[in-house]
Amino acid sequence: MPTSEPNSEFRVNPPGLDRRSFLRTSAVLATGLAAVAASLRPLLDLDDYTSVDRFLQKYYKELTPQEMDLVLKRIEREVEKQYGIRPHVRDLKPMDGVEFVYALNLTRCIGCRKCVHACVAENNQSRNPEIQYIRVLKLPHGSLDVEKAEHDYAPESVPEPGYFYMPVQCQQCKNPPCVKVCPVHATWQETDGITVIDYDWCIGCRYCEAACPYWARRFNFTKPSIPPERINPDMAYLGNRPRRQGVMEKCHFCIQRTRVGRYPACLEVCPAGARKFGNVLDPNSEVAQILRTKRVFIQLKEEMGTSPRFFYYFDV
Amino acid sequence: MMRAIRDYGIFLQRCIRIAFVGDWRYYAWMGALTVIVLFGLNAYAKQLVSGLISTGMSDQVSWGVYIANFTFLVGVAAAAVMMVIPVYIYNNEEMHDLVIFGELLAVAAILMCLAFVTVDLGRPDRFWHLIPGVGQFNFPASMLSWDVLVLNGYLLLNLHICGYLLYCRYQGKKPAKWFYIPFVFIAIAWAVSIHTVTAFLYVGLGGRPFWNSSIVGPRFLASAFTAGPALIILALQVVRRVTATTPSHAPIRDTAGPSAPAPRSATLDDLEKLARHLPEFRPVPMEERQKLLASATVLAVPTGATLLRQGEMDNHAFFVLEGRIVVQREESGRFRVTRTVAPGGQFGEVSALNGTPRMATAVTEEPALVLRLPAEDLRRLMQYRELDQVIRLRMTERLMITDRALLTLRSIVQVSMLINVFLLLNEVFKEFYSGNLHVVSSKYLFVGLHGHHALVPWIWTAITFNLIAMVLLLLPVSRSLRWLNLTCVLCIAGIWIEKGMGLVIPGFIPTPLGQIVEYTPSFNETLICLGIWAFGLLCYTIFLRMAVPILQGRLSRANEARPVPGIDAAALESTGHP
Repeated sequence: MPTSEPNSEFRVNPPGLDRRSFLRTSAVLATGLAAVAASLRPLLDLDDYTSVDRFLQKYYKELTPQEMDLVLKRIEREVEKQYGIRPHVRDLKPMDGVEFVYALNLTRCIGCRKCVHACVAENNQSRNPEIQYIRVLKLPHGSLDVEKAEHDYAPESVPEPGYFYMPVQCQQCKNPPCVKVCPVHATWQETDGITVIDYDWCIGCRYCEAACPYWARRFNFTKPSIPPERINPDMAYLGNRPRRQGVMEKCHFCIQRTRVGRYPACLEVCPAGARKFGNVLDPNSEVAQILRTKRVFIQLKEEMGTSPRFFYYFDV
Repeated sequence: MMRAIRDYGIFLQRCIRIAFVGDWRYYAWMGALTVIVLFGLNAYAKQLVSGLISTGMSDQVSWGVYIANFTFLVGVAAAAVMMVIPVYIYNNEEMHDLVIFGELLAVAAILMCLAFVTVDLGRPDRFWHLIPGVGQFNFPASMLSWDVLVLNGYLLLNLHICGYLLYCRYQGKKPAKWFYIPFVFIAIAWAVSIHTVTAFLYVGLGGRPFWNSSIVGPRFLASAFTAGPALIILALQVVRRVTATTPSHAPIRDTAGPSAPAPRSATLDDLEKLARHLPEFRPVPMEERQKLLASATVLAVPTGATLLRQGEMDNHAFFVLEGRIVVQREESGRFRVTRTVAPGGQFGEVSALNGTPRMATAVTEEPALVLRLPAEDLRRLMQYRELDQVIRLRMTERLMITDRALLTLRSIVQVSMLINVFLLLNEVFKEFYSGNLHVVSSKYLFVGLHGHHALVPWIWTAITFNLIAMVLLLLPVSRSLRWLNLTCVLCIAGIWIEKGMGLVIPGFIPTPLGQIVEYTPSFNETLICLGIWAFGLLCYTIFLRMAVPILQGRLSRANEARPVPGIDAAALESTGHP
């Protein structure tokens, strides 16, 4: 009998398939396959990895206008299927001769967080878990040291004496560390100064999130959930279209509004008039005037060399 | 060409076959690992469905144990080079075969690294975006793209070196130097690069002052060269132990020594028999053969006879004419087969040529006929180029895990640990003495910050382990294997914590906006980590299971057709036929 030879372990030809070893081999094989199948069982609930179109979708910058049209149509269909509302998704390009800049008056900000919630509503951010692009810091007078900041302040009313408030969102750096570190070019800076993300190209490594000195980037740790009645149907490809599980997102200066001549949602909602936004290349714009005339303005963490397009200033 | 492919196919088939055969310990070990891998796979399937929310990570601490393990394992992979340097640069023959074990460990470690990065991805289905030429590869700007290149390159380099050397050994061919030595030297430089690049992943982030320190790179190398060789010391001892001979093969003390079987003078027929098995002997001319007959003797020995004994002095070399000899070596009280010698093979030549005590004991595995030559005759034979080459080649092909090789590794661990502790001290000094605002992460790590101190017990455990290990390494006590093993375990645990939980996590705490959110790996996350570790160990075990018999000469082209008797008794039990 072949198996009784001393070195069956080194044989070239497998031993003859006698009944016993055949049964044993099949039993081992069947058990193994069953165990693998059982361990992979949770994948039955997977509904996110289905379509071939999605899997093979090209990089934003490589899509031809025709392909982009098809993709936009597909996204509209998908959103309609999921939320029951037909959106209008556009691929808005930056305008020539425009560089957007934000200026925020720290003297005026009262820390009401209206901007935070307007942003969530405008940009179709996940409500559960809630993703917010703007974080308002409560700081004691006399310090810009973020270590002293309070993040989850919740008093009866704001502002509180002795404190000032500093909303922080993506600073749209001229020298963005997040863009540099992305291994797949899924995030880049557009000519109007906005750093955008191709949500269909991001692999979710979160290196950009580690690189950002302003903690401005957010990750979809799970499938975003938005109540269908809260969907904002006015969408942009690089802006507020719904994201999927496992990708990054962040403030994009409301591309779907600002690239068609409107103000960002956070600015419109601000009750204190603390937020100013515009084209810095236009000398008559409000932001150009502020940067020209205000004596003290701050670029957060200036020493990083990131050169933000987001300026904080005081009324003096 | 077709034949080469067919031969290689047979080689692979035999390698794969042997991975499924072993004794009960082997099956228990592999079975346990497989179960853990399956649990990990199950946890990963759950994570794929629910997203990374099933981990302990958050927007505040956006990397966790996956990346921590990744960082540690890149170090382990890089450390394989520490085995290579003594062999190829200082020609330390004791460690020759160990290089293959080190490089196989590197391969397993890189596989684990790749698995850890994959499970950390939010969209693993988009991995192809990372493939240069197919996706969008942000090279050279992104350090992560560098990492993709160097890690995969290192994997290929090591697979090539190990695969080529093992296949040559299997075929009984001398490896072509140009086909692997250049790669060995590239791999040495490459090993440094994989860990430096991994350090640069962190160092390059200006927004994270805890990582943005030029000492992180050197610290990574020092800790890698501590933990890596420590792991290899442990792995080698496991290999040594499981390949130790079962009692039936231990040298039988009461059989008589080499002189016991009645020697007879060699004849020309005997030399012709040798030439049949050893083609390199054929060019030896008749007058030379005649001269040999004057001093050469032939012994016909029964199974189990000892031909020469470790530690004895004797100046004879042997060639096998018929039958099979096992060469076993006693290390730390255990006998291990270092190789088997088939007809045409030689043994005892090293001590004969060097005039040193026998390094191993040779016992017949089946009735054998051996040719015994005095050292001076062997020297004369080695004037023939072909014969000289083959004899020298075989002298280097010994699977010996000697205590001395382990102690060479110990000195590497010793020096690296000293440097590692020194560099850590530098970092701690710079952080705390200058007292600037960037010290917060270090404060959080070492003493806790505003009532948050989840990492404090971890880092002090790591420091304690490292210091105890350092002291043990400096004391002569760690020359004994038992203490050395304890020291290695302390090194590995200490550095795993220091580099994983102690380096990756505090970089995120507090956030760049000053928020403190702590991190604890979730149960599911832990299961995935365990699964990947088990997967790595499974791979390494399979690699060793294939490599050891090839190095011992028990799995070779020569015995493709003819079964080799007297292999592991354990293998017999495993087939269910005692």
